[in-house]
Amino acid sequence: MITLCPKRVFKVPVDAECISPDIFAEKSASEIAKLLVWEGNRKRTLGELFKIELQTKTESKEPTIQISGDLRRVRKIGAKMCTGKIVVDGDVGMHLGEEMRGGVITVGGSADSWAGCMMKNGTIEIKGDAGDYVGAAYRGSTLGMSEGTIIIHGNAGNEAGCFMRKGIIKIRGNVGQFAGMHMKDGTILVRENSEGRAGAEMLGGKIIVCGHIPSILPTFTIDTVTPKVKVDGEEVAGPFYRFLGDLTENGDGKLFVSQTQNPHLKPYENYL
Amino acid sequence: MTIISGVTCPVCGSFCDDIEVTIKNNVITDVKNACAIGAAKFLGYAKHRQTKPLIRKNGELVEASLDEAIRKSAQILADATYPILYGWSSTSCEATRVGLELAEEVGGVIDNTSTVCHGPSILSIQDIGISSCTLGQLRHRADLVFYWGSNPWSAHPRHLERYTTFSDGRFQKTAWRGYLSRLSATLTKKRLRRAVNLILRRDVSVPPETDRRLPYSVFQKKRKMIVIDVRKTRSAETADYFIQVKPNSDFELLQAFRMLVRDEELDVDEVAGVPVEVLEEVVDIMIGCELGILFFGLGLTMSEGKLRNVDAALSLVRDLNQRTKFLIMPMRGHFNVTGANVVFTWQTGYPYAVDFSHGYPRYNPGETSVVDILCRGESDAGLVIASDPVAHFPQRAAQNLVKNPLIAIDPEVTPTTLMADVVIPSAFVGIETEGTAYRMDHVPLPLKKIVNPPNTCLPDEEILRRILHQVHKLRRRPN
Amino acid sequence: MDIAVRDGKIVERVNEKKAERIDASGMIVMPGGVDIHCHIAGAEVNSGRLLRPEDHFRDVEAKTAVTRSGVGHSIPSTFTTGYRYARMGYTTIMNPSMPPLEARHTHEELDDTPMLDKATYPLLGDWWFVLEYLRDNRIEECAAHIAWMMNAIKGYAIKIVNPGGLEAWGYGGNVQNIDDPVPYFNITPREIIRGLCKVNRLLNMPHTIHVHTNNLGKPGNYVTALETMKCVEDLAKGDRPVIHITHCQFSAFKGDDWRTMGSGAEEIANYVNQHSHVTIDMGQVIFTDTTTMTADGPFQYRLYQLSGNKWVNHDVETETSAGIVPFRYKRKSPVHATQWSIGLELALLIKDPWRIYLTTDHPNGGPFTAYPRIISWLMSQTAREKTIKKIAKRARRNSLLPSIKREYSFYEVATVTRAGQARALGLSWKGHLGVGADADIAIYNVNPELVDPSKKYKTVRRAFQRAAYTIKGGEVVAKNGEILKSVYGKTFWVNVNSSLSMDVGADMKRRFREYWTVEYENYPIPESFLTASAPIVVKAEI
Repeated sequence: MITLCPKRVFKVPVDAECISPDIFAEKSASEIAKLLVWEGNRKRTLGELFKIELQTKTESKEPTIQISGDLRRVRKIGAKMCTGKIVVDGDVGMHLGEEMRGGVITVGGSADSWAGCMMKNGTIEIKGDAGDYVGAAYRGSTLGMSEGTIIIHGNAGNEAGCFMRKGIIKIRGNVGQFAGMHMKDGTILVRENSEGRAGAEMLGGKIIVCGHIPSILPTFTIDTVTPKVKVDGEEVAGPFYRFLGDLTENGDGKLFVSQTQNPHLKPYENYL
Repeated sequence: MTIISGVTCPVCGSFCDDIEVTIKNNVITDVKNACAIGAAKFLGYAKHRQTKPLIRKNGELVEASLDEAIRKSAQILADATYPILYGWSSTSCEATRVGLELAEEVGGVIDNTSTVCHGPSILSIQDIGISSCTLGQLRHRADLVFYWGSNPWSAHPRHLERYTTFSDGRFQKTAWRGYLSRLSATLTKKRLRRAVNLILRRDVSVPPETDRRLPYSVFQKKRKMIVIDVRKTRSAETADYFIQVKPNSDFELLQAFRMLVRDEELDVDEVAGVPVEVLEEVVDIMIGCELGILFFGLGLTMSEGKLRNVDAALSLVRDLNQRTKFLIMPMRGHFNVTGANVVFTWQTGYPYAVDFSHGYPRYNPGETSVVDILCRGESDAGLVIASDPVAHFPQRAAQNLVKNPLIAIDPEVTPTTLMADVVIPSAFVGIETEGTAYRMDHVPLPLKKIVNPPNTCLPDEEILRRILHQVHKLRRRPN
Repeated sequence: MDIAVRDGKIVERVNEKKAERIDASGMIVMPGGVDIHCHIAGAEVNSGRLLRPEDHFRDVEAKTAVTRSGVGHSIPSTFTTGYRYARMGYTTIMNPSMPPLEARHTHEELDDTPMLDKATYPLLGDWWFVLEYLRDNRIEECAAHIAWMMNAIKGYAIKIVNPGGLEAWGYGGNVQNIDDPVPYFNITPREIIRGLCKVNRLLNMPHTIHVHTNNLGKPGNYVTALETMKCVEDLAKGDRPVIHITHCQFSAFKGDDWRTMGSGAEEIANYVNQHSHVTIDMGQVIFTDTTTMTADGPFQYRLYQLSGNKWVNHDVETETSAGIVPFRYKRKSPVHATQWSIGLELALLIKDPWRIYLTTDHPNGGPFTAYPRIISWLMSQTAREKTIKKIAKRARRNSLLPSIKREYSFYEVATVTRAGQARALGLSWKGHLGVGADADIAIYNVNPELVDPSKKYKTVRRAFQRAAYTIKGGEVVAKNGEILKSVYGKTFWVNVNSSLSMDVGADMKRRFREYWTVEYENYPIPESFLTASAPIVVKAEI
């Protein structure tokens, strides 16, 4: 177990790609302290910016890293990691777990945008809110998250799951607009409300909105009313309207929207 | 007295290059062919200009020598850990090339006005692509012209007469006469109605029924224009047909069009406040045209949905190409914002929001875009050139910009220069100094030097080069 | 033998006591590489760069004391392009597609591309003036206008892309074969090609017409390629070529549709072997994710329909068009694998290495950084076999490569990567190491006397990937893959002297506003716009 804590407040963005269990594995505290981080345009060592403590004597192959303090400007924590655990006590900056392939990241506070973007596998759990572009692809690319699980206890921002290819995003709170934008496959479960335009241009996959949604896009067509939906082994109780779309993309995606929470969608029942 | 012809107008993205300027004793006395905005710039550019370098000392801006200003600027940038270099849209490509080298040298973030304007359009082009052309293709061939969320009559005044509806091309003639006769018919109708109301003492507070039907003129084989906006702008009054879209519903409307283009039926009766029958007729016209063009502006990029509105518009035009020839073009604002994008892209691979802090270009708008960096208060120094962010940025961003050391390079006194720590007066590009700039359709044209600048005002390119030279000296690097 | 260099040129001898010595023993010394066709600057290329941030972010080059930073992979930024060519020992490149209206853009980008001498070819095959004059058979007037254009926009050669097809694409159409008339203009592609071939000769241009054929990328199009080559057969005088078919692989498909698509390389190679008026370049495909970009608007649209990838289109008024689509060539696709085979078949079946050149039509077939890999395929049958084993079965069965034993020698490699290209371009001071040549020299760390390229193809590939020394204009600019010095080359262009130039100027001025949306005086590029202008003066026969 390795604990990190910032030595001071960061005024400019800090790029800490090296904070990853794979990179820390089998290294001594002094070796870890020499790892490269960027503070704005200055090259620093991890030890210059963080207080580092190695909790156990033996250097493990799959260490756990615990980070406390103000990390809102610290980016790319857990990027590309394959094994091990990262536990963040409070809030954390952008690109958390970017391209991660395995292991677990837990965040006690909120995460900034691009959490889990281009993720290949692993688990990210955020107790607070998440920003925009959860599990998304890089600009211009169609390669969003492909496997893995992202769980957000609070709310998520816009374009969650943009271009996602597989995997699961579970949001216990609300989600912004364009959840599942361009998604190819995978599942997005929203326990509360969506701000709208869910499933825009989706090609496949599943989006479930258990709360309110202001409207359904005109490019979706109603398919049926179903009492429940299965997500990742568990059953989510409905009843749900099931819409198919996005028809402009020949999409095969399924958009489940709560029937009881959306009385304004009743006119769609005429088409059943 | 001399007359210079073929002058390019350094104001908007239409970048008209047929302006005729008369000068006498190094003063511009007359301008021909320009619109009101262009003429105002040529005739009135010197009104608010500054001519002396200034440095803030003890809270006050005092005059300084150019050398002192350059040295202080270089010091500010070289010391900074995350400087931002912003603007670029109203200067020449040559200056932007030096600016990129400076940003790379100081490891900062360089960004242009796309970040608050057509940045979303660029992001969507990167996902979807774009079916576009140069403006002459439209003058020659376009018989169906859309302006969506854009008001060229006010913002790009000569656009219609030079490039689209009221221009003459090889295969299409101007629709000006049609517009005039429609205008006179509308005015006559208005007069008659007013007279009838007076005679019959009708209650005029009841609004007249709006006839939603498409007029005959849009079904004819000639140039026609349709404007889509949230309110009836002057451009909308000029159009053959106007569609009023419910604010923040452009995405739904565009997607509905896409469905109809694919011959699929909509399950609803109206989308975004527009009845589906109207949409079906408009799509028939779209498919039946010979060549259509969709111009769009901030109505799409800055209303709810932002880049995804543009995403839908680009996809609609792409889909239409299966049925007929259709093109799309963003209405760029500043006369060289396209040039800034072009130069950024060839030197760094990315069109705006380029972060050099790690020694190589990185790009992620939202993270590396200057307006967002400033909203989060993450930078520690700034250089602003050819732009006025204090006037145009969100309040929090402007506050964070001025609380750090700020260098402003501008020919005029602006809110930004009034708040800066170093002010360097520059020459007006396109009037006092030459260069290259790119029209909204990526056509590069030369900017002319018409009059001499005051000798304390150097071109942007030269000022930046001197700052770069000084930064090299501070870092003891060979030039 | 020794090579003496002074003041940027190769000379007879130098003062050996004062001269800097480079010991190239045990290595191969070649003239600097010459690339006759690579899209590296201009509107089309830059739109590609903008389109693909995902192509850039994984391949970056940080700035150094000597070099600027940049990004790479299939469409590198300008500085990176220069450095990567220099690392491979290349010193001269030709940008093959310049829309005349946007010529300023091409030249600005070329000026920001270090390490290389360069030139660019304006797209003229669909220019309205060309279509109108050739339709009326007014060859001399057409030639005079092309001379005006060459001078105005600082071009090097007449580039023709899908002649007639780009004008038809203005309204979304295309032409189906070389006798299909262009809508509204009543002229056929055959007439355009023949007309411009005659014009080229009248103007005494250093290079031939440079042609991207109609029907590119369509199964069965080898017939169009043959017809294109045949249609100017009678215009040949003596042994000199009169037409260059570029990236010929894309025009060498047999078959009726994608299922029956096969290789027409044998037919094309037979024709080229028997007719000396044609030169071609390969357009070799590499199995990678790359970006296609050509002026062939309709072809690029079709590629979008095939692949479903994002698509950029840019039609240029009065002149031409362009299209960009990212594309991945897959080993297991029978079509892509056949394409890979076609490029190599062409190079191996055409006997005269002076008339076939190594290119990938960068980035259409693959990035130019793959050239060393192609060299290893040309020099080693084993290398080819290794790749053939991994490709789609149908392509493997139909490929001619297993039966071709020929392996290129170092001399032939030098010809197809530099000497032949320089000769085709009329650059008599490039592509060789004789006295009077520019001192553009590449030294590769492979010993031809000890290394058998047929077996040690990996050594050969590595040697060509990182030149031991790259010398540009007499200065060592790169060593073992490291850029030592950033230099800027010259921009060549053809300055055509013709007696009709005054009349053309007046004629253009009168009609300009009917054709373009810019003013006559803002169209030509002043010579001072180019940082290092190097005009080549030719005297036209008009």
